[in-house]
Amino acid sequence: MNWLPGITTPAAAWLFALLVPLVVFYFLKLKRTRVEIPSLALWLSVIEDQRVNSPFQKFKRNLLLLLQVAVLCLLALAAMQPFVRGRSQRAEHLPILIDCSASMAATDDQGRSRLDLVKQQVREIITNLLSGQRLTLVAVSDSAQRLTEFTDNQRVLLDALNRIRVREVEGNLEEGLQLAQALARSFQIDAVRFYSDGNLPLRPDETGRQVAGVNFDLPFELQFHRIDPGGANIGITAFTARRSGPERWDVFVRVEGSDAGQTAAGVELLAGGVPVGDDTIILEAGQSQRIVFTYDSADAASLEVRLRPDGPDSLAADNVAWLDLPVSRPLSVYCPLELAAYRHSLSGLGGIELLPTGGRDPQRALYDLVIADDLAQADQEAQTFLFIGVVPADLSSLISIGTGLAQVVDWKRDDPLLQHVMFQDVEITDQPTLAEGVDEGDIESLGYEILVQGNTGPLVLRRREGRIASVYLLFHTDRSTLPYRVGFPVLVSNVVGLARDQAELSDVRGIATGVLPELQVPSKAAVDVRTPSGQSLSVLPDAEGTLKGIAAHEVGQYDIRQEGQTIRRVGAGLLSATETSLWGVEEIQFRELTVGASDQPVSTDKPLWSYLAYAAFVFLLVEWWVFLRRPGGEAA
Amino acid sequence: MTTAQLTSLFPNDVLARCERLRINPLRRRTNHSRGEHHAGKGGASTEFADYRDYSPGDDVRYVDWNIFARTGDPFLKLYKHEEEMHVVLLVDGSQSMQFEGKFDLARQLAAAFGVMGLLNVERVSGYATKSGMGAIAMLPSCRGRVSLRKMLAFFEGLEGGGAFTVDDMIEQALKRHSGKGVCVIVSDFLTTGDLTRPFNRLHSAGLEIYALQILGPTEMDPELTGDLRFVDSETGQTLDVSSVGELLGLYHEHRRGLADHIATLCRQRQGRFLSLSSADDIQTVLFDQLLRRGWVR
Repeated sequence: MNWLPGITTPAAAWLFALLVPLVVFYFLKLKRTRVEIPSLALWLSVIEDQRVNSPFQKFKRNLLLLLQVAVLCLLALAAMQPFVRGRSQRAEHLPILIDCSASMAATDDQGRSRLDLVKQQVREIITNLLSGQRLTLVAVSDSAQRLTEFTDNQRVLLDALNRIRVREVEGNLEEGLQLAQALARSFQIDAVRFYSDGNLPLRPDETGRQVAGVNFDLPFELQFHRIDPGGANIGITAFTARRSGPERWDVFVRVEGSDAGQTAAGVELLAGGVPVGDDTIILEAGQSQRIVFTYDSADAASLEVRLRPDGPDSLAADNVAWLDLPVSRPLSVYCPLELAAYRHSLSGLGGIELLPTGGRDPQRALYDLVIADDLAQADQEAQTFLFIGVVPADLSSLISIGTGLAQVVDWKRDDPLLQHVMFQDVEITDQPTLAEGVDEGDIESLGYEILVQGNTGPLVLRRREGRIASVYLLFHTDRSTLPYRVGFPVLVSNVVGLARDQAELSDVRGIATGVLPELQVPSKAAVDVRTPSGQSLSVLPDAEGTLKGIAAHEVGQYDIRQEGQTIRRVGAGLLSATETSLWGVEEIQFRELTVGASDQPVSTDKPLWSYLAYAAFVFLLVEWWVFLRRPGGEAA
Repeated sequence: MTTAQLTSLFPNDVLARCERLRINPLRRRTNHSRGEHHAGKGGASTEFADYRDYSPGDDVRYVDWNIFARTGDPFLKLYKHEEEMHVVLLVDGSQSMQFEGKFDLARQLAAAFGVMGLLNVERVSGYATKSGMGAIAMLPSCRGRVSLRKMLAFFEGLEGGGAFTVDDMIEQALKRHSGKGVCVIVSDFLTTGDLTRPFNRLHSAGLEIYALQILGPTEMDPELTGDLRFVDSETGQTLDVSSVGELLGLYHEHRRGLADHIATLCRQRQGRFLSLSSADDIQTVLFDQLLRRGWVR
């Protein structure tokens, strides 16, 4: 570190040339006031005594001149903008990423939030901004938002900094880094500064150790400045319900505590605002516990769970969650009579309305599950499709069905659709084959997920298009030994389970903040969405009357209004184990390198011009005082 | 009905009070001439002093015949001798005294001492500098109430000015004066000369020194600052002084040092010294300061 101060504007040194006219004018303008006194006798002896005894007589004689020279020198130095070199490297364009995810609202013992501490540090950087340095502020939560252009305007930067608010969502550093990477294409960016509490999603590395991994190649230096995490916290991290009977739900609430210490809270379950369950929970540091409530209802209901922390609780956003229970009804499944094996398996499952029955079936506009071996059935209205022996139309040029014995190479054993289904030694006489020059990547690029891979091509595909999930068995099960395997009814049961999930008939999950799920509205008129803080958003539903992509950055209930009427109320909770834990990582693992956290505030270049200007002002006041002061000495 | 003022120097009531005061010298410095002051030796006054043995040739009129009748031995009665005291009034009328009423107070004080002297049958003479090099105004020696108007007219008619220093004034006065007594010097004593010699001459001439220094309020406590050019009122000489405010402490030291020096000179010669401000009232000076210090009684 160079201890010599740097100079930002050396050209301002020409101001020192003003010393010459200052001195010249001082002596030219020095006009003494004539004062007639009775006798010089006393003053002559005084002056003689002063000459003998005062070594600083010349200094005192021209004190005003010296003070004026000092003022001018200080002003000239201030204009040169000297600065004390900091430890951190000086960058001309510096993006500052500020984590404003939910955990940044956590408070410490003194009631200061993490975001407040970050703002304090960033404010110091802005205040000490040197000439030629430009900053841009980026707020990072589940998405990244650039708050300012690259600017050295302190007012603009401070205004933007003050506008930053915590978003009660999970953080996603990758979004911020991608934004910085985009900026690096336009500006020379050597380093990016990231301020966070280090509360990032964890994943196991090769050794099984939990690390904060970000799938990103850093094209610049990332300076990770970590703020100490908040105090003890307890919060709801999961809120789900599972149907346990025709009119009964098991409601699960997972409550987790932070590592800071023991936490306790009361847990209250409300249905439509009326308490239906209450419990108390005590957690050791870092522990979690699941509480089960039973709720009897065949009708739709809105459940709310609230925590009443008994002791310090750093984060308030994770103390409440909502969940909407659907009306109880059987799952409507369309399965042609020709697919006897499937109908046989379906008939053994409860809670299913299987159509067609062969008689006069009621006309249905919407099914929960359609099982078909003909692509023409795709025209039916359903949320879940299972096609057997069908190649999707957009894959017809990539996959052909040949004759031959296809062999299963591998399948996703942990996928909910294939759980407990063994494809080993299944004989398949249809042989889906990839066209020449086509590989699995081409299939996946079209939005398909390969669940079962054969020796010549994929055997089972899944695709999600909005709210519709489609599973394609590229081979017909009638031309395979799969229906004779134990796994076949299990596969059908898994498909039914998927359909129940899609129809939200069996498992219901609480809605987390971020983006609200797609919502069906009665008409295509504009919808007014009122956020919990009272803000109003106008959203247009699509052609099918579906609302999509409504941002939910606050915990609370969102009023969906159409034509002045509240048509639905959706509650969103934080429901994030990462954010609730307030855990702060020491390092972030990127693809090729690891970035460690620094707890120390950034030692930036500190400009000295303001101190010099203050000193010049003080010298000016002293000079004014010397010029105007009342005479000293003692009265007789 | 208003009474006409006897003098313009001070009102009649002050004059009346002055008439009741008399100068109180520390030492007996009298002339052989008969006067109001008791001499140390025997005299012919009516106040008894002592007895002594008769010696042949003594005036037999002073023999105490009652004692001779009882004892048969002649004893001579001695009486106190009363001699006159000379009051010399020196007034510095140089240009430096023409500031802030210094000269007016000086004339008032000198006249007051003159009144005390004349009304107590002392011999009073006055000297004052006036404009013009080497010129000195003189009040010839006078005595008694009959000289009161003359003495007052002398001090009323004094006009200051010129560059006569106080030591020159003393030298000039001593050339014209003879006789012991008290010498009242009223001046600002702002001189570059040495006062030792003139004070020695006053002492050797049998005059007890009553030195009264009069300074103006701005000389006592000047309120000056910045860079100034001082001009001497007497000589026109200039002196450039920077940061005058810084030097005021030193100025006060020197002013007090000058006063201490003059006081020491006076004390060494059995004299008295008092520093006054021209802003002081004549009555305060006469009937408070001088009376309390025992200059007059």
